[in-house]
Amino acid sequence: MDILQNTIASFVSLVPVTLAQSLILAFVVLGIMIPFRMLSFPDLTSEGAFPLGGCVCGVLMAAGMSPLSAIAIALVAGFIAGCCTAFIHLRFRIHTLLAGILMMTMLYSINLRIMGRSNLSVFGAPTVFDWAPGLQPGFPASKIVVAGLIALVVFFLLYHFFRTEKGTAVRAVGANPDMAEAQGINVWLATIGGVGLAGAFSAAGGALMVQSQGFADVNMGLGILINGLAALMIGEAIVGKQSVLRQLAAPFVGAIVYYQLVSFCLAAGMPPPDLKLATGLFVLAMLALPSLKRSRGPAPARETVRE
Amino acid sequence: MLEIRSARKVFYKGQADEKVALDGLDLSLATGEFGVVIGSNGAGKSSMLNAISGALVLDTGQIVINGDDVTATPVHKRATRLARVFQDPMRGTAASMTVAENMLLAELRSNKRTLRRGLNATRLSAYKDRLSLLGLGLENRLDTRVELLSGGQRQSLSLIMAVGGSPELLLLDEHTAALDPRTADIVMQATIRAVEALKLTTLMVTHNMQHAVDFGHKVIMLDAGRVRLEIDGKDKAQTTVPDLIGHFSVKTDRMFLAS
Repeated sequence: MDILQNTIASFVSLVPVTLAQSLILAFVVLGIMIPFRMLSFPDLTSEGAFPLGGCVCGVLMAAGMSPLSAIAIALVAGFIAGCCTAFIHLRFRIHTLLAGILMMTMLYSINLRIMGRSNLSVFGAPTVFDWAPGLQPGFPASKIVVAGLIALVVFFLLYHFFRTEKGTAVRAVGANPDMAEAQGINVWLATIGGVGLAGAFSAAGGALMVQSQGFADVNMGLGILINGLAALMIGEAIVGKQSVLRQLAAPFVGAIVYYQLVSFCLAAGMPPPDLKLATGLFVLAMLALPSLKRSRGPAPARETVRE
Repeated sequence: MLEIRSARKVFYKGQADEKVALDGLDLSLATGEFGVVIGSNGAGKSSMLNAISGALVLDTGQIVINGDDVTATPVHKRATRLARVFQDPMRGTAASMTVAENMLLAELRSNKRTLRRGLNATRLSAYKDRLSLLGLGLENRLDTRVELLSGGQRQSLSLIMAVGGSPELLLLDEHTAALDPRTADIVMQATIRAVEALKLTTLMVTHNMQHAVDFGHKVIMLDAGRVRLEIDGKDKAQTTVPDLIGHFSVKTDRMFLAS
């Protein structure tokens, strides 16, 4: 009983910190969901765009730039990274996954170049979390409020966008690129813009993370993709993905639930090095579930993704 | 209206399996004219439609629509002028999107897409009216994802989507071939009604000789990448199915002689 009580006590004490972290990482999950679900473009850029956002933001903060403009520039950097991945795929007909791997490998060097070293402390520099009204800066509550507000704004903006005429056209590119083209939609523009947007969100997540933890590190993206994918799977399992609203809510719900789960596992005494294995097995199980459920009967049409 | 001038396209150029898909093809269609294209497999019918829609880039030759040379125009820009219904019902619709969203995409084909709300009440009621003309009950399934519809329903939806914005040119690519006879008949009747009501310039590819006899102002027979035969006017009215099949067999006999 003692072990259980200890576990629960340490888990509960970690809830606010974890919630703050998960709201920031929800942007990365969003950056994984948009290409994957809205554009049928499995994209790995986020593994490089997340530290890119972090590095850009870190360097600019160290140079004394205001935290908001640092995030804005990180956002632009991530957007360009995403655009490059989409362009590599479209122009040279390279598989989306390979285009993403190329991009994230190249981004590693670029991130090192930007920072000039492998990590950079920006502790004490002003951050967007200082602006939370009535709250002491530096505490999880201010991070939860600020990150939560930004998440809410982004959610509603995206929800509105994907139901506009332009947004519907972007979703059509993901649903059936040939049909979209035949309906007068510029597939290149929609793909590059959409994957770019996703890169921007990943980078924004990285920038917020750097402001939250007080340092930037070129290795901060290691494994972020599989974490994000796991979070997305959980979110989709909870809220579903049948409508635009549900599909957009999934990354946020998933991120919150997933990081609490991870926190619980750690509190229960799981050794941190095993975390990636556990996450990988979890994603595998979620992806395998549909095919395990129907051991008999015909195979359903495979989800079509662009190659 | 539509003019194809000495269009030529060779696949696998310079290789052992070189294939001449279009061999100096010339074709013209007047405004409001309904042309029916027939020909054996590999005659170049699909290549011709792809060349018109922009999916196939010609080696040489020109495509002119309403006086404008569109040879170098990409598919999505040509789409503002022409609409196409594919043989495969899956190709013409976005499966994971709803009936209403598909209708919206088609409506916006020739318009500029804005950042305003896509599906508003006015549009939804307009889509309801248009779909009810089919008599398939689609008007009550506006929020259904298209993947849940049957092939016939999807193809009917494709047709309604294609004729919706009164395109300058309508391309029908064996659009009833994948359907059961009854549904094929419904879709074909709906096609004829729409084409006549809107006076659409239409090019229809078919393997159904009865359709070729019954519908359209002229029959165009393709063979080996060029027009082999054009029947229009009074001759078209007197043509029978055996006549058309006869033209196929003449060709086959010649092939036998040649080989």
